[in-house]
Amino acid sequence: MDIVVKKIVREVKRGNQDAFAELVDLYKDKVFHIAYRMLGNAHEAQDVSQEAFLRAYTNIESYDENRKFSTWIFRIATNLSIDRIRRKKPDFHLEDQVSGTDNLDYHSQFAADIDLPEDQVVKLEMQQWIQDEIMALPPKYRSAIILKYLEDLSLKEISEVMNLPVATVKTRIHRGREALRKRLGQA
Amino acid sequence: MACTRDKQQVINQYLDEEMTLLESKQFEEHLHSCPDCEKHVRELKKTTAIIQSASHFEAPKDFTAGVMDRLPKQSKTKRWQQ
Repeated sequence: MDIVVKKIVREVKRGNQDAFAELVDLYKDKVFHIAYRMLGNAHEAQDVSQEAFLRAYTNIESYDENRKFSTWIFRIATNLSIDRIRRKKPDFHLEDQVSGTDNLDYHSQFAADIDLPEDQVVKLEMQQWIQDEIMALPPKYRSAIILKYLEDLSLKEISEVMNLPVATVKTRIHRGREALRKRLGQA
Repeated sequence: MACTRDKQQVINQYLDEEMTLLESKQFEEHLHSCPDCEKHVRELKKTTAIIQSASHFEAPKDFTAGVMDRLPKQSKTKRWQQ
């Protein structure tokens, strides 16, 4: 896997723009998911994650091939997400209509399992609740919790993504987890 | 809440699996006799399980095309070199 990624990165560095599409395809779901969890809505998540790839492309020369590409792109994406949160752009919601479509809201943009309607409703409510709780966390705890519990990264990887010492990452995970417990623990 | 401030730290070590087998055994014995710590651990375990159950969203279908369309245009000579 890493050898494949290295090869693609070299192609991109040599000026093969088309090769970059392969990199995007490899990491788009994870990057989009992180941005979605950070921002809480699909429209902004798409905007931020596409911007993250554009920045990766224009800065590809500064990417150190000895490091994982995922760490680098996750870092760009989380930083852009935090910038976006700070700027407090007006919110979009899953219920908003997708521009250029007749009657599609953002829920329709996600590949959904085929379930009984009631199951789906419960599932969506449950998912919305989890997201609301993640959104209630301060951004610096939010990113730590997302990378640890949703992306399953090691503490070392998280420390590289966040550019923080492992001890600080641990503290943020502990505080984030504790804040969530106070709200979710009795549920 | 944990019964003492110190125990709060121990709970984190326990959940992060940063204990020796003996230490975790000893702590589990404490959990049996301390309802406060037991409740705290149970709630934290439940919390992380809930968070981990969050669905994984996929990028929208036109994602890659959207990125590629926005890349800086390449000169023809560069394209020819490939």
